Amino acid sequence: MTSTIIMPQLGETVAEGKVLAWFKSIGDEIREGDNLFEVETDKVTIEVQAVVAGRLSEIRVGVGATAKVGEVVAVIGGDMTAKAPVRTEARAARASQWRSPFEEVSTPTEKFGSSKGPNGVRITPLARRLISEHGIDVARLSADVARRGATKVDEAAVRAALAERPSEPATPSVVIAPPPKPADSPPPEGAVISLNAVRLRTGERLAENWRTIPHVFQAIEVDFTRVDRVRKSRKADFQATHGFSLTFLPFIARATCLAISAYPQINARFSGATLILSRDIHLGIAVDLNHNGLVAPVVREAGELTAIGLAKAIRRQTEKAKAGKLSADDLSGGTYTISNNGAFGTTLTTPIINAPQVGILSTDAIGLKPAVVSTPEGDFLAPRMIGIVGQSFDHRAFDGAYSAAFLSRLKLILETRNWDEEFPSDR
Amino acid sequence: MASAKDATAPNESLANDDIGLDRRLELFRLQVEIRDCEKRAFDLFLQNLIKGTSHLSIGQEAVAAGFGVAMRKGDKSFCTYRGHAHTLARGASMEGMLGELMLRDIGLMRGKGGSMHLTSVEHGVLGSYAIIGAHLPIACGSAWRAQYLGEKDVSVCFFGDGTTNIGAFHEALNFAAVWKLPVVFVCENNLYMEYTPISEVTAVKHPAADRAAAYGLERIVVDGNDADVVYRIALAALEMARNGGGPSLIECLTYRHSGHSRADPAKYRPPGELEEWLKRDPVVIYRERLREFGVKQETIDAVEAESKRKVEAATEACKASPQAPVELLTADVYADGGWAWRN
Amino acid sequence: MAELTYRDAVARGIAQEMERDERVVFLGEDIGKAGGVFKTTVGLYEKFGPRRVRDTPISEQAILGAAMGAAMTGLRPIAEIMFADFLAVCFDYVANEMSKLRYMSNGQLACPLVIRTGNGGGVRFGAQHSQAVENWTMMIPGVKVVAPSSPVDVIGLMAAAVRDPDPVIFHEHKALYAIKGEVPDGEILDKLGTAKILRPGRDCTIVALALMVPRALAAAEILRQEHGVDAEVIDVRSLVPLDTQTILASVAKTGRLFTVEENPRLCGWGAEIVSIVADEAFWDLDGPIVRITTPHIPLPAADHLEDLALPSASRIVDKVHRVLNG
Repeated sequence: MTSTIIMPQLGETVAEGKVLAWFKSIGDEIREGDNLFEVETDKVTIEVQAVVAGRLSEIRVGVGATAKVGEVVAVIGGDMTAKAPVRTEARAARASQWRSPFEEVSTPTEKFGSSKGPNGVRITPLARRLISEHGIDVARLSADVARRGATKVDEAAVRAALAERPSEPATPSVVIAPPPKPADSPPPEGAVISLNAVRLRTGERLAENWRTIPHVFQAIEVDFTRVDRVRKSRKADFQATHGFSLTFLPFIARATCLAISAYPQINARFSGATLILSRDIHLGIAVDLNHNGLVAPVVREAGELTAIGLAKAIRRQTEKAKAGKLSADDLSGGTYTISNNGAFGTTLTTPIINAPQVGILSTDAIGLKPAVVSTPEGDFLAPRMIGIVGQSFDHRAFDGAYSAAFLSRLKLILETRNWDEEFPSDR
Repeated sequence: MASAKDATAPNESLANDDIGLDRRLELFRLQVEIRDCEKRAFDLFLQNLIKGTSHLSIGQEAVAAGFGVAMRKGDKSFCTYRGHAHTLARGASMEGMLGELMLRDIGLMRGKGGSMHLTSVEHGVLGSYAIIGAHLPIACGSAWRAQYLGEKDVSVCFFGDGTTNIGAFHEALNFAAVWKLPVVFVCENNLYMEYTPISEVTAVKHPAADRAAAYGLERIVVDGNDADVVYRIALAALEMARNGGGPSLIECLTYRHSGHSRADPAKYRPPGELEEWLKRDPVVIYRERLREFGVKQETIDAVEAESKRKVEAATEACKASPQAPVELLTADVYADGGWAWRN
Repeated sequence: MAELTYRDAVARGIAQEMERDERVVFLGEDIGKAGGVFKTTVGLYEKFGPRRVRDTPISEQAILGAAMGAAMTGLRPIAEIMFADFLAVCFDYVANEMSKLRYMSNGQLACPLVIRTGNGGGVRFGAQHSQAVENWTMMIPGVKVVAPSSPVDVIGLMAAAVRDPDPVIFHEHKALYAIKGEVPDGEILDKLGTAKILRPGRDCTIVALALMVPRALAAAEILRQEHGVDAEVIDVRSLVPLDTQTILASVAKTGRLFTVEENPRLCGWGAEIVSIVADEAFWDLDGPIVRITTPHIPLPAADHLEDLALPSASRIVDKVHRVLNG
């Protein structure tokens, strides 16, 4: 009498099992209860016993092959002559991993704007992509093209427009974790936001830096009361003279440069196994482009500048960034970076280092907080302007003690320096 | 298993003739199993467990069995879409064959080919071919290889009467004759192409045999419903080919009991024709012959019972079999197992 | 190094493979004693003998069928179909038999053979002996298709085709049989599925096949000298498998694509490439993709008419220049 051995049900959600081993061969006499084969499912590996006796006449599913629950894996008591070939490997699974049969050609998923400009001038697909990638004003470009009497915006027109820009807003060389984006209206549930090429490349660099540099973060609480006193007293004059507001940032930048001169390893870069200290400080300042990304233009020779000089230089770079007029030079050569996150009132930010630099400073909101002030008369609680200054550093370049010492020096400078001296004495 | 020992032969010379009882029991077993399996296929089609189309060989078992027993392991056979009998006759399993018809994973080709393309290389069944005449030159190629490599196998090519009017038939016969290839061409003349009697569309009476002379071959017409007759002519043709004597063309007269395919009720047959041919049913003829040789009824019954048991077991196995995994959709277009046409 | 004609390269490629592998056999009409109607197989019969180099009757179906049966059972046959137009006579074997055998048999049967055939026009043979039909074979799932444009490619791709375990259709070009090219000594083995950039450029990509390759190269030279256009010319070489990556990378660089196809326009081989580029490389395109083809007509025998029909270097120059400046 012929009986079929089927792949047993091995669990409620198990649909198939892989035969790991056969304990009997064709021709063997099987007794009820004998171990026949071993099967592996995604939950368990077990041995399957025979429930009938007889001669094992056929094995249909060999070692390494998979059978669905209920499928016949062997026959007991059947015809001994040759049957259909035994399946011994999941050959089919190997076969078509190349592409899905319905995706023989990969249609791109990005969209790069309309095929016509606002004035109806046609724009080639390549031009549309370049316009998007370089943040070109498509209305202006289309108008220029129409004015010239050309019939379409093509790659040449885009390249010409790019050449006319004072500088190309190339991909930023300093990469900092992007701040959270406060949307005017929250995107609908499940909305898909495509990242443009700039963001994608930035993201790749961020990931690379995060992955390759052993980041350690340290923070120190700084009392900005003295800085604030000077800042407030100089504010009006400064605005009148230079046309923009005096913030904490130039003070912090100045203090950073001064602290770096005492701790030069902060201002270094790796070259293989050596740390090359930079004589000059070229300070990268992170700039938020209205929530459309971050760039970190560099203030060159920042160490030579006073707080006012730094204020002006930072202002210049920030304006260029916002206008999309940064050059490649503006974005390269930084030796250290400051990430200034205070605008939204956050307490602490741990930034990502921009290789090949070995450290990056973060500052957050500075505001009135209760603090203990020690006087010869005793310790008193007083409202002070407190802010947290932190540093992410590359632990291969130096260790915590060095970084802490630098931060400590920075704090000291910020808290005790005579900041009035940074400003012209005659009023 | 039944053997000559079980028989008491009233006529010793008949029992010990060139075929012998053992081989006759084998011929009988094959015809019975083919018949039973084909009838089961008929039923499964009615139950919609066999889909698409199916071309049954009911009534034509003797040709398949006669050649199946005469051929050696290693000989290559090529047949048409009416190839179930030829596939079973070379030793392929019933569940492999029925499973393929049912398009299940247990099938000989896991459902990739279907009823018209039965293939089992391990049994020497090198394909069943749906395009009329296509396999005749292919059989020539296989024979050319044997000749070239000095291998001793013979390539046997089965086809119907309709094939004799297509170009590839004539090209293949000429080719085989000129190169003296070890190939045997077997025409199963069942009097009808699809729905048209062959006599209405052919310039000669015997569509194959009357063309043999055009290729310098012997005219051979035999009773295709007598397995002994088929066996003998098969053996002779195979031996001639194997010994370098070149090709033969054998016309076997037979009849199909059902329509061309399952979709065909065969109402085009003149009244009485089917009944006449049923008297020449090859299984009935052979059962009688065994009795004439004194084979016991129990022995005959055992063969028939075993056949029915095998058909049942095969049917159950096929019904239990799942269909092939979907990865097979794109498997084996190319030698690397895949289907990549681009990088 | 030696200078060899394309036709001599055919014989050399076949000989290289027949020497290497006893299973390689060769059959066709007038290929043996006569050395082939185009004298492409001169010397093979003398070298390998009648057992391995066999002259057949005029029986295209038998030629391909026999090649297939032999390939299925252990040999590595090369079959000649004298004129590619005749593929239509035995097309069942290409479209239904050898291409589907492996798939239908679930991998039990294989068909490692090469069909070599004289393809294309420009030789004044008239409509039934001049058509470029690579596209007929490109569209059949299960076969591979190559069309070399130079003697060295003939040998290398022939070797690759013979060694390939799948059926390969090898389109030789009748109008290229007489051209000469440098061929290194020793064994040459190329790779199916690889296109070649014969002339790098920046302004546009021109993809061509077989006879159209030298014409595209000539056109590229004129485009540079007379119009300041720097064209990149790619010899596709292999239609199946298709080297899409080389073509896509080129279009990413130049932004413009032209194909030069000898087949009559509809469903020519270039149509498929254009479709792939318009899909995957849409955002690299700076202008419309243009196919430069033979018009959709049978080919005339008259030489002045045939020369008008097939894309010429000057027609290529004219079209590329006009489209780029439009």
